[in-house]
Amino acid sequence: MHKVADIDVQHNITKANKKIADRITKKLNDSNIFGVDFVGAIGSGKTSLIEELIQRMDGNIGVIAGDVISKFDAGRFKKFNIPVVGLNTGKECHLDAHLVEHAIEDMPLDNIDYLLVENVGNLICPVDFDLGSHIRVVVISVSEGDDTVEKHPLIFQSADLVIINKVDIAGAVEADVGKMVNDVKVLNPDVEVIKTSLKKEIGLSNVINAIDRFKKRMDL
Amino acid sequence: MHELAMAESILNAVIEKSEENHANEVIEVIIEIGKMTMLNGEQIIFMLEVLSEDTMANGAKFIVEEIPIEVKCLGCGFDGKLGSDDLDPYTPLPKCPKCGNLKVNVKNGKDLIVKNIVIDKQSKL
Repeated sequence: MHKVADIDVQHNITKANKKIADRITKKLNDSNIFGVDFVGAIGSGKTSLIEELIQRMDGNIGVIAGDVISKFDAGRFKKFNIPVVGLNTGKECHLDAHLVEHAIEDMPLDNIDYLLVENVGNLICPVDFDLGSHIRVVVISVSEGDDTVEKHPLIFQSADLVIINKVDIAGAVEADVGKMVNDVKVLNPDVEVIKTSLKKEIGLSNVINAIDRFKKRMDL
Repeated sequence: MHELAMAESILNAVIEKSEENHANEVIEVIIEIGKMTMLNGEQIIFMLEVLSEDTMANGAKFIVEEIPIEVKCLGCGFDGKLGSDDLDPYTPLPKCPKCGNLKVNVKNGKDLIVKNIVIDKQSKL
């Protein structure tokens, strides 16, 4: 005999990610690790920035490299002889907490002070996916156009630190860096915006200092 | 956007709950989509129909209900829902419909929820 049943499910998929993210934050706190999530546009310089941070920051760094095909970025980090876990997202456009939690299983948590997570190049999809890191750094560059900020407001509202990279070529691509900074400030008045050129070594020490200020504030 | 990943998560939740309740077949699924998620309901339904083909949810009716955005303004104190005209689809930034302030707490509209399922189950009788 068949019976039809009406079942109240109330399964919140968004909150399921947040629950895992909170578990990640706790794990990082328990291991005294400061987690930084790097999101940004394709080609904005996320990987190059992390390469510079690996070489210049005090303390041991581990990296989770998320990408459509992660071996390229992961390979760039591995040459520094640090713990690196590559996350292939395939056709997926963002990392989620579930993927990151598994990647952390392969991280030697006792031996690192910072966990840097490089998200997939995308300014839209990562917005809703908390990865449990302590801060989110949004990286863009002038070559994406100086209207990038106003076209992607939500990611800038979710940022703890914003980096505008490749400012040395702003003139060549006719981008108004001042406009980009102002656009960020309208969306997120209290956020720190740092202008960098990784090629010309501009602004990098400001980025390192800013990350360390956040770390100290968290008492990690 | 990431409708495929979301559709997979929805289907997993539906199948899990259906198995828990000893279902043979899923007849109907009601999904609530918060407007702030910017997820496209029609795309989600299409993907669910494709993904569910070899599962007990094959042929189920997938229904999407929209959750409006509710904000509390940190400026003027407005507390309520945003109307459909208050959110520009090209710059989906919630702001206070009363004073225009961008500093608002989004109280509702960010979630994706599997609300309800109707299943057919084999009775022991």
